[in-house]
Amino acid sequence: MKTFKMQCKYEIIRVLRNRYFVFWSLVMPILFYYIFTNVVNTNAPDKAEWQAHYLMSMTVFSVMGSSMMTLGIRMVQERSQGWATFIRITPLSDTVYFAAQMIGQSVIHMLSITIIFIAGALINGVSLTALEWIMSGLWILLGSLPFLAIGTLIGLMKKVETAAGVSNVIYMVLAIAGGLWMPLEIMPKIMQSIGKWLPSYNFGNGAWEIIRGNMPDWRNILILIAYLAVFMLLSKYIRRKQEAV
Amino acid sequence: MNKIVSLTNVTKSFQHKTAVNDVSFTIGKGEVVAILGPNGAGKTTTISMILGLLKPSAGEIKLFNHQPHEKQVREKIGTMLQEVSVMPGLKVREILELISSYYPNPLGIQQLIELTGLTNQDLKTRAEKLSGGQKRRLSFALALAGNPELIIFDEPTVGMDITSRNRFWQTVHQMAAQGKTIIFSTHYLQEADDAAGRILLFKDGAVVADGTPAQIKSRISKQSVSFFVDPEMSLEKLYLHSEIDDIYRKNNRVYIQSSNTDRVLELIFQEKIGARDIQIERGKLEEAFEQLTSGAKEAI
Ligand SMILES: Nc1ncnc2c1ncn2[C@@H]1O[C@H](COP(=O)(O)OP(=O)(O)OP(=O)(O)O)[C@@H](O)[C@H]1O
Ligand SMILES: [Mg+2]
Repeated sequence: MKTFKMQCKYEIIRVLRNRYFVFWSLVMPILFYYIFTNVVNTNAPDKAEWQAHYLMSMTVFSVMGSSMMTLGIRMVQERSQGWATFIRITPLSDTVYFAAQMIGQSVIHMLSITIIFIAGALINGVSLTALEWIMSGLWILLGSLPFLAIGTLIGLMKKVETAAGVSNVIYMVLAIAGGLWMPLEIMPKIMQSIGKWLPSYNFGNGAWEIIRGNMPDWRNILILIAYLAVFMLLSKYIRRKQEAV
Repeated sequence: MNKIVSLTNVTKSFQHKTAVNDVSFTIGKGEVVAILGPNGAGKTTTISMILGLLKPSAGEIKLFNHQPHEKQVREKIGTMLQEVSVMPGLKVREILELISSYYPNPLGIQQLIELTGLTNQDLKTRAEKLSGGQKRRLSFALALAGNPELIIFDEPTVGMDITSRNRFWQTVHQMAAQGKTIIFSTHYLQEADDAAGRILLFKDGAVVADGTPAQIKSRISKQSVSFFVDPEMSLEKLYLHSEIDDIYRKNNRVYIQSSNTDRVLELIFQEKIGARDIQIERGKLEEAFEQLTSGAKEAI
């Protein structure tokens, strides 16, 4: 138990000390949020709704990024620098290690969600009901699972540079094509029909529905679960192949 | 004997290469054993198998009578790998605290500082910012963090300066005195001789010699007794003794090669050959070692 707590604590400290994390997961989303709700005139018919909508977009954007990049790149780093090998010789069990990483990530995500929500409330006075705040926060926390699975996939790469490059591209493509930067509705028809199948859109849409007083669509939930299953199986399969020495 | 490590007919083959070939040995409690051999001899592969990082292709490895990967075994071993690694993003003190928490009876940070020569300044530094030698020191501290009964080092002194090296061996001796079992690999006979009570000499994936440093040395370096003697004097009689390997003359001196120089002296006086200016010489050890480990196998 002491081991587990220590492990969680240091996982969190490591993430917070990571400059990429602070930049991509906190600074960028808040900056974007400010720009697209205050500087650029988006001609939104319902200004308050747009401000809440975009706050969800940016929180989803942030959590999606740290799920894929922080976890994935760190896994590659630990492996390429031999740390993963050293850990295998210690009595730390794989379960504790994995659980601590997941808990650590979740705490980090809760922190990002809280900070960005507070930023929204301060910058634009976004006001939601307590239930909406909590539900959207929970949705974003749970909905990050498929992206953590993508993170473990990225974590299987050999070099940190490749992992960073690839995850950045995936991140941006998913964010833009999933309607996190601009709503899908203003994109060409074909982009819209592709976008609806992406995990990022379904992740975002759940939160967008919640702030409009609805429940996330069943379709969103099912698609995210399907992605989670596929990525987990894929990651397991690749790991099995890599281990066969 | 209290067996700590035992290898039985262990072989490890990679796709195109047999790195370790049918190796068997056991190591008892409190032994300090050097795995000595040139590059590519199979030292790291053997150590990786002992640590449970690699699976033998054939044969069996037991540590404390259990499989190497069992938790109760892991709690009793500490190790420093050939490739030093550190956890990025954490300070040295934090890493030590974290790793210590994995073990049931860890040593305290203070003790680790005393044993490894880490400084207070090092403790506050982030691991990725340490110099190569400082990383080695951290790695050494991590090996000792769990107060292990069995300590395994793969080429521990590479990249250490003289001070760190001395400190390192001093601590190893201290650990040995506490009854810990220690296994380390090295390229240098000198290092093995100084620190170990037993040497396993590896070559081409096999153990070609196993014994105390003195035994190994007498085996690989020919000792000889040399002296001046009247050229008329016949040395025929000496040839009759089986302890003597070879007799030759060089610069007017007679050289008698034997692994038992005491016996040779005895014979010289016994046979009354009138030897003067007697000297006992030891062949150049490093040379002989190099020849043994790089030349053909028949050299032994
Ligand atoms: N993963 C691997 N795949 C293929 N061959 C390997 C692998 N690991 C080691 N070998 C080969 O096995 C042999 C023994 O390697 P090993 O690393 O055990 O040597 P070593 O005695 O530790 O050498 P050094 O002193 O250079 O560290 C070498 O010829 C090496 O090329
Ligand atoms: Mg080696």
